[in-house]
Amino acid sequence: MKPDSTDTPTNESVASPMWRGLDELAASPEYQAAALNEFPEGATEFADEPSRRRFLSLMGASLALATGVGCNLRPASQRKIVPYTTQPDEMTPGVPLYFASSASFGGYGQGVLVRSNEGRPTKIEGNPDSPSSLGGASLHSLASILDLYDPDRSRGVTHRGVGAGYDEAIAALRAKLYSGAAANTSVKVRVLTETTTSPTFGAQISRLLTAFPNSQWIQYEAVSSANARVGIAKAFDTTKGPALRATYDFLKADIVLSLDADFLTSGPGHVRYSRDFADRRKIRQNGKEAADIAAGKRLPEGVKDDHVNRLYAVECMPTNTGAVADHRLPQLSAQLETFARALAVELGVTGVPAVGALTDEAKAWIKPLAADLRSLPSKKDGEKPTDRPKGTTVVVVGDHAPASLHALAFAINAHLGNIGKTVRLASSPEVTVAGKTSNDLKKLSDELAKKEVDVLLVIGDANPAFTAPADIDFASALQMFGEDKTKFSLHLGQRQDETGVLCEWHVNEAHDLEAWGDICGHDGTAAIQQPLIAPLHHGKSAIELIAAVVKDAKEDPSVPASARDPRDMVRATWRSWFGKSAGEFERFWQESVRAGFVAGSAPAAVTPALAANWAADAPASPPLRGSGDYELNIRACPSLHDGRFANNGWLQELPKPLTKISWDNAAFLSPKTADQLGVAEAYYNFNKGAGEHGRAEVGVIQIEVGGKKINAPVWILPGHADGAITVHLGHGRDGGRVGRIATTPDELNVDGKPARGFNAYPVRTSAAPWVVSAKVTKTDKQYVLSCTQGHWAMAEKDPISGKLLDRKPVRKGSLDEYKHNPSFAKIPPTATGETLEINQNIPLPRPKDGKNHHHAHDERLHPLNMYQPAEVLSPGLKDSQRRRWGMAIDLSACTGCSACVVACISENNIPVVGKRQVTRGREMHWIRIDRYYESVTADMKGAKDAAAIKTYFQPVMCVQCENAPCEIVCPVGATVHSTDGLNDMTYNRCVGTRYCSNNCPYKVRRFNFLTFEGNDWDTDTLKLGRNPDVSVRSRGVMEKCTFCVQRIRGAEIVAEREFRGIKDGEILTACQSACPSGAIVFGDLNDADSAVARWKNEPANYGLLAELNTRPRLTHMAAIRNPNPAMPK
Amino acid sequence: MACAYYSEGTTESVRSDPQERWLTMPQIFPKALNPVTKMLILAAPLLAGATGVTGAAFYRSSYATGVGETPPQPVAFSHSHHVGQLGIHCVYCHTSVEGSGFANVPPTKTCMNCHQQIWQGADLLEPVRNSYKENKPIEWLRVHNLPHYAYFNHSIHVAKGVGCATCHGRLDHMNLTMQNSTLLMEWCIACHREPEKHIRPKTEVFNMQYDPKKPAVWAAEDFPRSGKLADGTLNEHIGKPRPTSQKELGLFLKDQYHVRDAVTLTNCSMCHR
Repeated sequence: MKPDSTDTPTNESVASPMWRGLDELAASPEYQAAALNEFPEGATEFADEPSRRRFLSLMGASLALATGVGCNLRPASQRKIVPYTTQPDEMTPGVPLYFASSASFGGYGQGVLVRSNEGRPTKIEGNPDSPSSLGGASLHSLASILDLYDPDRSRGVTHRGVGAGYDEAIAALRAKLYSGAAANTSVKVRVLTETTTSPTFGAQISRLLTAFPNSQWIQYEAVSSANARVGIAKAFDTTKGPALRATYDFLKADIVLSLDADFLTSGPGHVRYSRDFADRRKIRQNGKEAADIAAGKRLPEGVKDDHVNRLYAVECMPTNTGAVADHRLPQLSAQLETFARALAVELGVTGVPAVGALTDEAKAWIKPLAADLRSLPSKKDGEKPTDRPKGTTVVVVGDHAPASLHALAFAINAHLGNIGKTVRLASSPEVTVAGKTSNDLKKLSDELAKKEVDVLLVIGDANPAFTAPADIDFASALQMFGEDKTKFSLHLGQRQDETGVLCEWHVNEAHDLEAWGDICGHDGTAAIQQPLIAPLHHGKSAIELIAAVVKDAKEDPSVPASARDPRDMVRATWRSWFGKSAGEFERFWQESVRAGFVAGSAPAAVTPALAANWAADAPASPPLRGSGDYELNIRACPSLHDGRFANNGWLQELPKPLTKISWDNAAFLSPKTADQLGVAEAYYNFNKGAGEHGRAEVGVIQIEVGGKKINAPVWILPGHADGAITVHLGHGRDGGRVGRIATTPDELNVDGKPARGFNAYPVRTSAAPWVVSAKVTKTDKQYVLSCTQGHWAMAEKDPISGKLLDRKPVRKGSLDEYKHNPSFAKIPPTATGETLEINQNIPLPRPKDGKNHHHAHDERLHPLNMYQPAEVLSPGLKDSQRRRWGMAIDLSACTGCSACVVACISENNIPVVGKRQVTRGREMHWIRIDRYYESVTADMKGAKDAAAIKTYFQPVMCVQCENAPCEIVCPVGATVHSTDGLNDMTYNRCVGTRYCSNNCPYKVRRFNFLTFEGNDWDTDTLKLGRNPDVSVRSRGVMEKCTFCVQRIRGAEIVAEREFRGIKDGEILTACQSACPSGAIVFGDLNDADSAVARWKNEPANYGLLAELNTRPRLTHMAAIRNPNPAMPK
Repeated sequence: MACAYYSEGTTESVRSDPQERWLTMPQIFPKALNPVTKMLILAAPLLAGATGVTGAAFYRSSYATGVGETPPQPVAFSHSHHVGQLGIHCVYCHTSVEGSGFANVPPTKTCMNCHQQIWQGADLLEPVRNSYKENKPIEWLRVHNLPHYAYFNHSIHVAKGVGCATCHGRLDHMNLTMQNSTLLMEWCIACHREPEKHIRPKTEVFNMQYDPKKPAVWAAEDFPRSGKLADGTLNEHIGKPRPTSQKELGLFLKDQYHVRDAVTLTNCSMCHR
């Protein structure tokens, strides 16, 4: 629709039933009151119990204030300047440096750039050149910088809990391994690590295994992709060749079927996959054509509306991938394989095992889904559909699915011609040693218990004492072993965790940012990890530890450990890989370290034929679930993973993607299952319709598997498959072991223990680590969860009718709607004549000729206030200096993964407030990701129809209104406008009236109710990690998103110094640079060629609450889904 | 105040009545104080005003701002000797001033560049030698100490023609480094509102003796990109005499150096983030 058209946009989608959470559907007066309240009940009151101590400290503070003021009149107290004695060449004090490295997680690396301020790493960002990142970064990479400064990190070597020296530990280990200079070949060594892709570390362990022939290498991790490994080996018969690993090219995939695969937010390649997948979702008028897609081009960004991909998801627990799918089928995990077999048969795959019983909903999916995978939609009715080109679809299976399903998916992919196209097979970068490597923790546990082992080395964060399945009592075996004085056990880890305390020796490990290393990305591209800081607590890396005890062919084992430089060891690996002359190697090395990855190191793709017996030993399809037991799904926590991030405050407090619960885990189940169990009543009664409004009182269920019982608070999650329950691992770590974040002396978990959340490992067995049938009973306990979904609702009381005006300003629609009316997302006007004005409220780029055609200052509306717009006030600015910062977020690309939230925390020194404060609505995150559900009807009946639930995410931060309502109410002028359109927040002027927040229709302002000192105000180590360019805010100060003004001003200063303009893309905000799917763009609206200007010119662009005439500088683009009309509704 | 009615006459009868005992209460203030009270009421605004003025004056006083103070430094370094007498360029030591927000205090190595050769035995330099020998930095005290919520950037000021002496004073005359400016916000803002009053040609930024009234000619380095214009020609002013009034010079330089206008320069986020 043309901007000057006076047609009323047809807009059915806007009117469809949207809701935020179940509490809203109950529509109680309490909910309405809560939605209207800017802060939830209790946020603004000082409700902590008064204590004598507190009283005295307050009195003391007042007294100090009264007497101390006179002594402290000077603007700032005297401070010191401490220069270097000899300044390093490459550094200029005050100018940060960026180093490329790789953040490791689950054995794989992700390319990152690390900012270093005067030698302190302060921020991690994605590396745009690294194939595993392309500029985006995962939650865990971003948050890993906090682990570096974790005050509870292990700070030294201990021997049976008593402090010792590293050299003593190494001497003790050497004494076991060597008699004199000769290796003691009879010694039985067991090395327990996680999966590793590090060539140097792998080579070292191989040498260790060769030197001590009675050794074994056990690779164990709680959240492993063992099933995928077995599946691919079955499908392609890799008994002769090297192990294979599949990566996917979503850039070329028109149709994607995900079988419980959360490929957009989990797994080593998810950042890259997100970017590729989102690129096929961003609709751009000058986007990629079919030829560009076939050629695998990255630019131009986005696609034309004819090339939008389609995602089908079949899963049990809703994941972020399922949430953004065009069609989502909730199925029990046990039914997945049956579903895939039925699909394979329909597609004509040969050799598929017998198909068992399927649910009716699943049956209805098979034919249209198979048709869509096989053929292109017919252009005209009655026309015979043409075949879809081979290799333009992809079937992805989650790591926890059984191996036989993985094999089946490869068979389907092979049938569809995807192998070598959208499915890339290459030799796996995971290091194993034939005959020596296993994943068998059970065997190791038995050996330890029987003391058949002499030396045990536990390296890394696998922490089996906590994460071992319930049927393996690894902790007791290790304890017995550790206590035996004739045996030797050593733990190398960043924390003295559950495993570390049971070993005889504990050596503190260096963080990724403190040590040299190498690691491979998801596609096998190797990367060199370089240290940015000397180990804070003199930690050692795994490479250093092994090097200290392994006799190299050339090296003398009697050389003390400290004499071997880990950098030389990594260099030696790559020297032999590179092969050419030393001079050329030096260039190659410098370039590889600088770039953050080793060019050309990815293994070549292979296209093996499908093995004849790929379907051998596939289990029979299970019958449909009866009514007795429930299916229990055990999954990794999206933020804490297997528990290794339990002491990371950013990840603990982060509202989990999709569920929006912070600080806890819960048993997720569907509304129907909740009714069946009788826990729904408790949920609604206790929360009076405001269950997700911060403090949610929920019922507790008991889950019993094989006699082991756990208690879990219940969280009702629309869209979850009926008859199943999902629990997340990683929570409930025991107090004392993981420090002050993960232990909660005053907030007990559901079992009354001082831990965050409940531990789900006791119901996990090695036979059924992911899916098991469980007995579930309701208990009469209650538990309080903190959930942020209900916070900061953009609701308002209508001044005339007095009714709750509940705005749900997320705009979404189908591709057909978009093609029919591309401007469908523009605000539906109450009167046709207003359309023009409302559309004009959205900031648009200046026309290329630089002239304003409508008004003296701007082509848009006159602002509704008496002040002149800033541009008129500053006529002296040169055109290159006149900037209008703007941002756009494409909701079609957003997966709700929350990486932006963590990036923002890290960049802007945002404090962690703790669970109790979150329940009071005092969380400080500047970005919130609103989740909206859509169902057939906006009532409980609709919420129970799991297959029809659609989910939309909308990140909301300060939209930097041009007519900002917050500015006119501030009595002290602490929030005012800048000439480039930023809504500046001046912390040192703020007196904390909170009027601004009250008047903000977007509810994006956050108030420091406390100094949050318990968590990180006073912690010394955390001060090292703060961004020096952003003020640390204290109690009583309002804050909000600044569009990363420190980065804007920094770039401006450089540009002004050089008398030039700022280039498009020169400034990336923290959220923009982190976003894995590239859904956020920032830039200058005055530059008509800037990316942000192009995005804002797209018809799907709309201003959030633009009808209020706030003229938001941050606009959103409607979430456009591409449903298949042939699918069942 | 004093009650005239009951102060004379029938006191006896009143005293005998317990109901009205209050009437006999003695006066707190004598009548004579009435004019004083009236004067006090009249003087109240004056007093309040005086308090305000005193407070404001105190706030701006050198006691509160620290102007004129010379913090005791670990080494008695004399700018007057090094800059004034020897003529060492500011950037020889403060290397980062043109490229960073922070104008660095030189590392010990910089001192030792010269003092390995000259005055190598001087007692005064003992701490410098120790620092170099032991690789322990010298801990200087900040002289110009901005509050932590103000983000001042040296490089942009130097690039736009703000001279060192404008804020730091005549260092070539200072034996020990002294705080020259109040660093109050009003002091910052005064220049951000009217930069033309303070800016100088770029070749004069590090010149301590600079005087705008002294006649001089424009040098190529006075202009951005050494005077080269976008079309490749040189700036026409090069070689011509400079204006000798600060007002004329300032307005000309403001345009040449793309110094932004007062509204932009006084945006809160220019300095507070």
